Amino acid sequence: MAPRATSVTAPASSAPPALRVRGLCRTLGEGDAALEILHGIDLEIGRGEFCAIMGPSGSGKSTLMYLLGALDRPTAGEVRVDGVETGDFSPAELAQVRNAKIGFVFQFHYLMPEFTALENVMMPMLKSAMARRAARERARELLALLGLAGKENRIPARLSGGEQQRVAIARSLANRPLVLLGDEPTGNLDTKNGELVFQVFERLAREENQTIVVVTHDPRLAARTQRVVRLTDGAVVDDGPPRDVLARAGEVH
Amino acid sequence: MRLLPLVFIARRHLVHSAFRTFISVVGVAIGDCFMILMSSLMAGFETTFVQETIESSPHVTILDEQRDPPDEFAGWLSRESGGVATVESARPRERIYRIKKPLETLAAVRAREGIAAAAMNVVGTSILNFGSREVGAQLVGIDPEEQDRVVSTDQYMRSGRLADLHSASGAIVLGSGLAERLGVRRGDTVGAALHAPGSSARSSAGAIASASTAGRSRALRVVGVFHTGIVTIDGARAYTLINLAQQLLGLGRDVNRIVLRLDDHEQAREVAADLETMVGYRTESWQEQNANFLAIFTIQKVITYVVTGGITIVAAFGILNVLIMLVLEKLPEIAMLKSMGYTAADVTVVFLLEGLTIAALGVLFGTIGGYWLQQFLGALPIPMKGLIETEHLTFVDPPRVYLVATLASFVSTILAACLPSLKAGRLDPVVTLRGRA
Repeated sequence: MAPRATSVTAPASSAPPALRVRGLCRTLGEGDAALEILHGIDLEIGRGEFCAIMGPSGSGKSTLMYLLGALDRPTAGEVRVDGVETGDFSPAELAQVRNAKIGFVFQFHYLMPEFTALENVMMPMLKSAMARRAARERARELLALLGLAGKENRIPARLSGGEQQRVAIARSLANRPLVLLGDEPTGNLDTKNGELVFQVFERLAREENQTIVVVTHDPRLAARTQRVVRLTDGAVVDDGPPRDVLARAGEVH
Repeated sequence: MRLLPLVFIARRHLVHSAFRTFISVVGVAIGDCFMILMSSLMAGFETTFVQETIESSPHVTILDEQRDPPDEFAGWLSRESGGVATVESARPRERIYRIKKPLETLAAVRAREGIAAAAMNVVGTSILNFGSREVGAQLVGIDPEEQDRVVSTDQYMRSGRLADLHSASGAIVLGSGLAERLGVRRGDTVGAALHAPGSSARSSAGAIASASTAGRSRALRVVGVFHTGIVTIDGARAYTLINLAQQLLGLGRDVNRIVLRLDDHEQAREVAADLETMVGYRTESWQEQNANFLAIFTIQKVITYVVTGGITIVAAFGILNVLIMLVLEKLPEIAMLKSMGYTAADVTVVFLLEGLTIAALGVLFGTIGGYWLQQFLGALPIPMKGLIETEHLTFVDPPRVYLVATLASFVSTILAACLPSLKAGRLDPVVTLRGRA
């Protein structure tokens, strides 16, 4: 569907960073009501990196996530996904990028209530022209990986909150995305389930070398990542290893 | 675009909200069903009327009026004298209208292609009386055998036969409505006063007032009663033998109508125009004679389409409502589908497919329902006496009826589905996600 998005396959030796943004600005609203949410963000997420984005409410974390995931377009600046600039992509081409390279997990699971856990996980694969049988097999594997073996045929309403969120994670991993983007994926869960979900992220990062960017409010969770980016009022104010960044923010535990 | 997942999603939505789907399908089905029902009922009514009419009236009638009426003396004088002499207050000459040398005309007409049968008639308006009752009638003098070839009459006889006109010296066959109003039955004797119709009074009712003054009255024996089902005929027409009518009207061997049956009744207008130039007398096709009723059918068709069109539009608004609700309900899932790479077109197609399925199911059940209701209502004994008299509702369902209803239901439903579907496709996932995060 989108030749540019599929034809660009960088050689493994000089693989570009998974995500790179330069001078990223995003303005919401128009005219007098216009409000610049992000003011020139520069950020690079390397392959295999497990990175947390922290910041107070309204600092532009979610907006940044939507831009990183090619779900929204910047007002100014450029976004490169896997080294490819997406600025002049058509909506369909952006959709193709999202389907092939990005996996989203939101605060709410957004599972389709009429479909079983297995079918929900199959959705991105069906879009990417994978055969139904193959999609079903992969969905089964992913659910097993996330500890949901035996619950494949349950509809979301018959799963617990933690289980629902794990199905959502399985769905985001369906097309082996380059980057997994989590927008407060544990925000809606109790401590125990939140812990469970976060353990899944840790394991994916460690065992599968999955690139993960996750927005979180919780410094204890952020501390368990490899890198923390702090955002305040639409600008990156700190970036580095979790221990250092959290210490500077006065949130060491 | 890959249809498989889209069909998968659309189908699951419909099955999962089975009740909502059912309601929508019923909405479309009712619109479709009633469109079929109304159209076929109207078509049935019209077809019945036309069939009865072409069976029980001549397809073309040759009248006793000259195309070019002979000159009146006053006009001739004024013209010849160059306007010097004029006649004031000139009244048209009393003249008995007639077709002269009818046998020659008849032979000429019969020789023409497309004429199935032709017969001579002597038509006069008459007052029939039985005791103190008087009823105006159109008395038609006929040759029973020849007449039956032009206008099916014998098959409509309720009592007696048309040929029984030969059985008595003065015999008459009455329409059922006439017989009822006079209170006579077969075997009774009625009085008949006959009057040749003036040029302005071809139809029975008009010249009846003057008919009673004509005077020539005869006692006629009722030998039969016919019933065609067309109220205007049954209530006004009476048959007697042609030579009796000629005698009563003083026509000698002349007649004042030649009635024709055509091979193809749809050709009546053309044949009538053709014959007019050929024989020199004015002619009328059955369409011309029934122009009032045929005009009613046209109006009726318009009303039918307005009403059923209204039903269809209401059904379409129902679909519109249901789909808008569905889209609003699915906002988060639409956002999620887009975030995982589904395009605007994909999302639009999902909802269009749902509209399409509802339309298809609605039309299917509507067609079945329409067909079944026709059978059911057609079998109910519903006697009606209006323009035509029937025992049942008559439905005529040519494929066109179903085709029009199907098209109308489909188009309106798809149009209704378009708006919410396009809206769903255009939804910005970021707006939805931001609103909920």
